[in-house]
Amino acid sequence: MKYLPFILRNLGRNKLRSLLTASAIALAIALVCILRTMPAGMDSFLSSIASNTRISTHNEAGMVYAMPYSYLQKVRAVPGVVAAISWQWFGGATDLAKGVEFPNFAVDPEDFGRVYEDWKIAPQALEDFRKYRDAAIVGRATLLKKDWKVGDVVTLQSTVFPLQLSFRIVGEVPNPQAMQFYFQREYLTQAFAATGTPIDTTGMIWSRIDDPERVAPAMKQIDEMFRNGEAETTSETEKSFFGNFFGSLKGIVTIIMIVAGIVTLCIVFIAANTASMSVRERVGEIAILKAIGFRKATIFSTLLAEAVVLSTVAGIAGALISLGLTSLLRSSAGSGGPQMGPLTGFIVTDAILIQAIFIAFFIGILSGWLPALGASKRSVAQTLREVF
Amino acid sequence: MIDIVNVSRVYQRGADEIHALESVSLHVAKGRFVALMGPSGSGKSTLLNVLAGLDRPNSGDVVVGGKRLNDLSEDQLAEFRAHTVGFVFQFFNLIPVLSAVENVELPLLLTKLSRADRRQRAETALRVVGLSERSDHLPRQLSGGEQQRVAIARAIVTDADLVVADEPTGDLDARNAEEILSLLQTLKRDFGKTVVIVTHDPRAEKWVDEVIHLDKGLLLETRPGGASREMAASR
Repeated sequence: MKYLPFILRNLGRNKLRSLLTASAIALAIALVCILRTMPAGMDSFLSSIASNTRISTHNEAGMVYAMPYSYLQKVRAVPGVVAAISWQWFGGATDLAKGVEFPNFAVDPEDFGRVYEDWKIAPQALEDFRKYRDAAIVGRATLLKKDWKVGDVVTLQSTVFPLQLSFRIVGEVPNPQAMQFYFQREYLTQAFAATGTPIDTTGMIWSRIDDPERVAPAMKQIDEMFRNGEAETTSETEKSFFGNFFGSLKGIVTIIMIVAGIVTLCIVFIAANTASMSVRERVGEIAILKAIGFRKATIFSTLLAEAVVLSTVAGIAGALISLGLTSLLRSSAGSGGPQMGPLTGFIVTDAILIQAIFIAFFIGILSGWLPALGASKRSVAQTLREVF
Repeated sequence: MIDIVNVSRVYQRGADEIHALESVSLHVAKGRFVALMGPSGSGKSTLLNVLAGLDRPNSGDVVVGGKRLNDLSEDQLAEFRAHTVGFVFQFFNLIPVLSAVENVELPLLLTKLSRADRRQRAETALRVVGLSERSDHLPRQLSGGEQQRVAIARAIVTDADLVVADEPTGDLDARNAEEILSLLQTLKRDFGKTVVIVTHDPRAEKWVDEVIHLDKGLLLETRPGGASREMAASR
């Protein structure tokens, strides 16, 4: 510890350089911290949007393949199934040039409230949804984004069917992250009938099971029921469904993690360059220290400590920055920023903070090692001859 | 204090061999003030480095304070320098981010002294060189002469028996040069230090006991300095 004041003074020798290097390390560590929150954040996000008693059933060949609509009645008859509805992708857009801006589905209104009872949709909205053929229930995120409100009439042009339908918004899904747009399947059926093309398929069936313990048996029974049928099915929990749905996002997260690793490596080189410059500028002083009796090990340790102290302090700052940023994201989402989506679930935990500080510590060691070793090994007489 | 016998030092500079010292033998008694003089490239700085344990000879023996330096490892040489030798250099070579007293305290970091003891000793050393009132000043806030006095305080703070100085007046004006030479003589006279300096400065002759003249790596002559003549005259 008696060398600490000496180490700190040396760090303050070129304040701008130390500050810039520390800033680079701090930002890299903040980035690493935020990225490290992503896997847990994704899981938290999926848990927040998914129920553990809701399951989806879709064609085993993939979600884009349809199933007979008659499957819905058979699913409803499975023991443990409290309610079930079909989902039919409509692919509607308010402006074809912009494409589909929010997911929209035709559903069965009778069971809609029971399948999604945890969404806390207003009873009056559910009542109107059942009552009016052109009724629609829209997620709050889409209402905000499109500046719509309950009572508005909106028109969607399907991008998959030759249909254009107008809807009366009767209620909302009161979740700031909800983007879905639901309307009655019967409305879609009648529209198809008018074109002379009846629709007797559905894309997906969502069911609610009465007991989490009965979810696995119910899924098994449903899939067994349609084995060798017109369309074989795959059932999965809502969390698993969204997990697969966001699978591509997880791939991006992996790529980002790799990029973060490369960024960290770059920071090691930047910090090593700073340490080298600092040592090179002080070759004469280091020779004097050796002349007055400082051993190689002492020179090496003090120079290495400079890099480690700078990096660790910057790492702590970076970890605190990440803590502040994620808090800001959460409070921003809480005050009407649904577009933040899953980011709001990203929390910098104590474990991530400790990992970040260790990473910063090792950045210091890696960056300081070679310059410190070179300086400590240099011959004092030769340096004195060269420098003075 | 210093016994050098048949010391040779050869450097490799590119393809050339530089014979910096050739079979130099020298004895400096304890408590003497000696000047190594000669033209550039004469080998005087190399001789100073060898006797101070900064450099090793290719051949010959170097014994300082009863220790044969040839036998010491790098770390043992560092310890020898820390306890036995105080260094003063031409360009003062103070650490710019440390105050005068912190610069003087630097060699004491290698001892087991407490922080308070280290500070007390550093302040005493500064008092000896007449700079106690400027102890908190950074090197850049001191004149050249003052910086060299801080360097001398740093050289004596460990109570080393041998003080070596390489061109201690080389970067000073006449008045400051005289002050520094006087101070070095005080170290010898009042504190019993053995002082060896390398210098081009002819003014140094009157302050030292002995002048050792080198050229092209050879020790040409040893003659009494002004201090010896004064002492002889006073007898």
